[in-house]
Amino acid sequence: MFCDEALDSIEAIAADELTPDGRVAAHLASCPNCAAALVGARSLEQMLRRRGVPAAPSQFTSRTMARVRRARWRNDQFLDVGFNVAIGLVLLVVLIGVWLLLNRSGLAVVSNDAVNLFGTGLVTFARRVAPSLPLYAGAAAVLATALGIWWWAERDSAL
Amino acid sequence: MEDVHERELVERCRSGDERAFQELVDRHKDLVFALIARTVQDRSRAEDLAQDVFLRIHRGLPYFRGEARLSTWIYRIVANVCLQDHDRAPRTSTLDEERDAHAVSVADRQFTDLEVRDRLEKAIARLPANYRLLIAAHYLQGVRYEELSEALQLPLGTVKTQLYRAKQQLRRLLETDLR
Repeated sequence: MFCDEALDSIEAIAADELTPDGRVAAHLASCPNCAAALVGARSLEQMLRRRGVPAAPSQFTSRTMARVRRARWRNDQFLDVGFNVAIGLVLLVVLIGVWLLLNRSGLAVVSNDAVNLFGTGLVTFARRVAPSLPLYAGAAAVLATALGIWWWAERDSAL
Repeated sequence: MEDVHERELVERCRSGDERAFQELVDRHKDLVFALIARTVQDRSRAEDLAQDVFLRIHRGLPYFRGEARLSTWIYRIVANVCLQDHDRAPRTSTLDEERDAHAVSVADRQFTDLEVRDRLEKAIARLPANYRLLIAAHYLQGVRYEELSEALQLPLGTVKTQLYRAKQQLRRLLETDLR
């Protein structure tokens, strides 16, 4: 029996996972180096078993949940932007399609007249609405402020 | 019974129940934190990495098929996070530790418990990351060879052999330090 052979099983013996058979036991009893290695391995085993277990910080769960919520909010934002861009692209494609269709079918001339008519209507409408414009602007500002507060509160709760 | 509760918890997490995920964090945080803290040995870094583990769990739960136990799946994520962190982080501590070890005079070799523990931690810090992780996991209550084998996707025999090698290397490091 060589020392190398005995040393290979030293850690398992020290951990009580292997009972040394006759040959190994005899070698360990007669070889001072291997016996010392076994003493060292047993002492290490004890130290490792007694090693302290670090406990998670007290605020760990709340901090982790905050990170999870932040990550989810970012993910939702990303999805929202993606969705809006996709909708925009679809609209653009539809508009281009309609424009091509109008040009090819000769309906563009008719549509020019329609545009002129719409423009005239718009001008008339603007003239009528102009005196009440400050009132509409005020209402729009109030609405924008309300939406801003709502967005801010939503973002705050998501964080 | 425990497994049934675990499955229910996973299902609740999957359906977006935030309280269920909080319960999951509460149940596993100590083990995850202890494993990481024993591997990286820097508390604030350990907390950061432990949070990363739970973020990955949150993202990965929809794909968790329940073939392995939840805890085994979590160990696997911990192992990945620790090993990736080891690959990223520059290893600067070894030189300082070696200098410290040489600076200790022979007269100071009367160990108190605290000194022994300190030497052990320093020696563990000098082990390769996978050995550190194995030592950390094996000596935490409840982490069995079978779970480690499943989590690390290594045969049972390989896990045992690697653990013995890790302890052998650790013993040599401590002996060198004592000489």
